[in-house]
Parts: sequence; C-alpha cells; structure tokens
Amino acid sequence: MENNYIYIPNDPQQEEFRCRVPLKDTEQVFVVDGKGEKMGLNLGKGEILPQMLQVIAVRSRQAQEDLSYSTDYRLAERAQAKVLLCSHTLSMEDFTTHECVNVELGKGAILDMVVMQNEHNKSKHSTSFKVQMEEGAVFNLNVVTLHGGEISNEIEVNLNGKGGECNVNGLYLADGQQKVSTRVNIFHNVPECHSSQLFKGILDGESRTSFSGKIYVAKDAQKTEAYQANNNLLASRTAKAYTQPHLEIYADDVKCSHGATVGSLNEDELFYMRSRGIAKDEAKLLQQQAFAYAVLEKVANESLRERLHSLLESRLRGEFSECANCSKHCC
Amino acid sequence: MENLIEIKNLHANINGKEILKGIDLVVKPGEVHAIMGPNGSGKSTLSAVLAGKEHYEVTEGTVKFMGHDLLAMSPEERSWAGLFLGFQYPIEIPGVTNVNFMKTAVNEHRKQKGLAPLTAAEYLKLMREKLAIVEMDPAFSSRGVNVGFSGGEKKRNEIFQMAMLDPKLAILDETDSGLDVDALRIVATGVNKLKRPDNATIVITHYQRLLDYIVPDIVHVLYKGKIIKTSGKELALEVETRGYDWLIKGE
Repeated sequence: MENNYIYIPNDPQQEEFRCRVPLKDTEQVFVVDGKGEKMGLNLGKGEILPQMLQVIAVRSRQAQEDLSYSTDYRLAERAQAKVLLCSHTLSMEDFTTHECVNVELGKGAILDMVVMQNEHNKSKHSTSFKVQMEEGAVFNLNVVTLHGGEISNEIEVNLNGKGGECNVNGLYLADGQQKVSTRVNIFHNVPECHSSQLFKGILDGESRTSFSGKIYVAKDAQKTEAYQANNNLLASRTAKAYTQPHLEIYADDVKCSHGATVGSLNEDELFYMRSRGIAKDEAKLLQQQAFAYAVLEKVANESLRERLHSLLESRLRGEFSECANCSKHCC
Repeated sequence: MENLIEIKNLHANINGKEILKGIDLVVKPGEVHAIMGPNGSGKSTLSAVLAGKEHYEVTEGTVKFMGHDLLAMSPEERSWAGLFLGFQYPIEIPGVTNVNFMKTAVNEHRKQKGLAPLTAAEYLKLMREKLAIVEMDPAFSSRGVNVGFSGGEKKRNEIFQMAMLDPKLAILDETDSGLDVDALRIVATGVNKLKRPDNATIVITHYQRLLDYIVPDIVHVLYKGKIIKTSGKELALEVETRGYDWLIKGE
C-alpha cells in the first residue's frame, strides 16, 4: 500500500519521489515526463469510480526537452468520478510543459477535479482545460497553484445541455519572480445552466499574476445564472495583479455578476491582532489564510481540504522555498 | 509598591498635528483610574499611543511600563509584557474565527513565557471559564472575529479577550459607548471580576454612567492634550452635573 505513493526512478542518480498526500480511498498513478500507464478516464454509462483517482505528473531530468501531452476524461451518462491532478518537478532543470486536459461529460455525469500545482521556480507549465458538458452534467474544478515559475491555466467550459452546472475556482500563490496567469471562458450555449467562478490570489515579492474571466451567454440561453469573482491580496508593494472581468450577454432573462478586487493587508486588522500579542508575521499569516479560506472550503473531500489548508500554511510560512526542489518537500 | 506605568511629559502627533501636549500619569497595582474629557481632548490618542498604533509620533516624553521603556516595544511586545487595550471600535476580521484568533494569541503569550501551547481541551476549558465572565455563548467562538456582532457583543468580546490574556494593565477605551444598560452591566461586572491587587485598569470614558459600575480610585480630566484636573471619584460626579466648562475656564 505504502509503495503506491512512492515513485522510484530508473536512474539511481535521481531521488525518489514520495507523495505525502496519502488520502484514503485513493488510487494513485504516476505520469512521468508525459508518460504513464493510466492517463485520463473513460467511464461508461452509470459507472461510478469507486475511489478518487490521483494522477501525479512529474518532470524528471531524463526528459529535459519541452513536453506537450493531453489527457481525456470522458464520462458517459450519469457516470461519476473524483480526480486529483498533481504536478511536480523532480529536478532543477528549466522544464516547459504544455498540457491539455479534455473533459467530456454526458447527461447527468458528475466530475470533481482538484488540481494541485507545485513546481520549482524555473518551471513553466501551461494547462488548457477544455470541457464539454451535456444536459444536467456537473463539473467542479478547484485549481490550487502553490508554487511554480510560470504557471498558466486556461479553462474553457461549454455548457451544451440544459441544467448543466459548473463551478470553477482557484487559488494562486506567487512570490519572488513567479508568474501565474488564469484565463476562464464559460460558454452558456443553452438555457437554464448555472456557473460560478471564484479565483483568489495572494502575491508577494515581485510576482505578477493575471486573471481574465469571461462569461458568454448565447441569445437563447435564458434563465442562465452565472457569477464570477476575482480577488487579489498584495502582500508587498512590488507585486502586481492584473484582473479583467468580462461579461458577454445576448440573452435578456439572466442573472449574472462579476467582481474584481486588488487590495493589500488590512492595517487595522493587523494592529488589532498584534495588540493581542499575535506577532506581526503570524498576524499576516492569519489574514492570508482567512483570505484563501473561501476557495479551499469549496474542495469537497475533507481530508484533501485539510491537507490543502496545511500546505497553504507552510507555503505562506516560506517553507517551500527553503529547499532547492520544493516539490519533494511538500507532497 | 512599584508603579505599573509611569507616563512623563508625553507629547504625540498625528499627521504633524500635536494631540498630546505633555501627559503625566502614574498607575500603581490595584488601582482603577478613570480618564474623562470632552470630544477631541486626546483620550483615544493616548490609548492608541500606549498600545503602539502606527502613524502616531511621540515627540517628547517617556513611558515606563513595569520598569521597561514601553515606547521602544512593538504592539505585540506590549501585549506580552501585560498591557491590554480594549478598543472603542473593535475590528472585524472575516475568515479568522474567534477561537483561532484567541488561541493563537494565548499561545503566543505562553511561548513568550516559555510555556508549551495549550492543548485543544485545555484551551476549551479556559475559554468556557472566561466566556462565563461576560455571559457569552460558546457558540460565538466558531464565528469570525467580531463579524456580525452587535455593539454589546463586540464589547463583551473585548472583555473576554482581556480575561483570556490576564493583563497587568488594561486600558478600556470608551468601553461604554454603544451599550445598552444590560450590556453595560455585564461588561462592567466582567471588569470588576478581573480586578486583583496586582493589576490595574484605566477606564477612558465620556460619561459618568460607566463609573457607577466600575468605581475609580482616581479620576483625571483630559483637555486639549493635557490632564487639567486629578481628584477622587467625586470628580466624575461633579463633571456629570456641571460639565467640563468650569474646569476648562479654570485652565
């Protein structure tokens, strides 16, 4: 059982990788440099995946060239699955990875997907999520970007059948020279679908993040409900967050909203906490955790959620950057 | 007995404007002091300067707290040393629960004393005990700090925090503002229960009302950044009936 969580590379020079998120009822598979025995999912009608599938994608020094690959998650009518996608770098090479995650959900299918990105400071990783949803399908996505050089996530969701519901959320943390970009396009092509987006960023150092979110509502997609929010917390004066909310609405009977904020730590809150004996750094940490709370709370799996809260805490305490290769440190 | 706090000729500015113009004040253990004064006299500035709030510039004078230079300490160090400020307007911190907030604070205090952090069970026991002092429902602990609290609940929460941190000197800034009679009684009773021969309280207030419940040993009147009158508790009653004018004219 324990061995499932350890990747032992063929190259003895290379350190082994141990996943430290051994969650209960999880099937764990490795994808090494874009190759793995099991990539993606293909579930038939009514098939329910008994365990969560954790796909751990690692980049190693055995393949240093730019890499692109795609995986498919196809869930037929009423099929259900929970998936955790992790990405890591095992050595300090300047990796570039382009990944495409295709999701097709049949009528009433439900897919819960959590993405955990934790790579080193020079790694570039772009992921494109392309999602097609039929009637009554549900897609929940939580993208947690903990660490990485240049991380880009593009999320495109097509609501093609009535009563579809998608909730896409994200938390990104950036410091030093890190860059994180997020682009979300939700297409309400048919009536009576529901979508929500909540993306939050905590920026420190000289990091840069961008968020561009679009809600598109087609002419006959009446009774659409679509919400979008992007909030950014700047912990330094030199970090910059760009945010662009877009609404493109052609129907006339819809409920849609968007909101974007960029702010800094609240001085009054800090003083209040410090006056109670909570040291400045600890007070800042509490504020940042509070800021991130709303996103992590949307992760349905309790043990995963708790694990993410504690990873967030060690990330905010600067524990990731203490070791050269952060990915081995955390999970 | 050694003085808890010794304020000498304290001058302070905010945005270049002088608010405190030479405050002298000594508080000994076991004493309750009241500082009264009209709006804009510098009462809240004094408490903010003592707690170490940023943007206040001390231009002259000294403050010794239990023998240490208080003005050289950070806000958290002042708290660890045993100073507590009850806020006039307690701050709301959405997303940080009361329990997390206070547990962190209590354990930081313990860390400074070289004590191990409280276990969850120990904390819970202490919390329940202290909540009872201000008649607060334990259910409040899972809510965000002061979020959605009524005026009275916020002030009770301040006294609860004071009870948890067990300070040597508590400065209660307009703790009576925005309280109805019941809440006032609960808050004042809480403060009285925490009174000991080895600690002291400075009650900053506009009105005599609170001093019916928390009886001061010494009353000071602050006006335009200076203490213009110091006397026994009868001074508060005199201010209540005669206002501040007779004192100001005497200046």
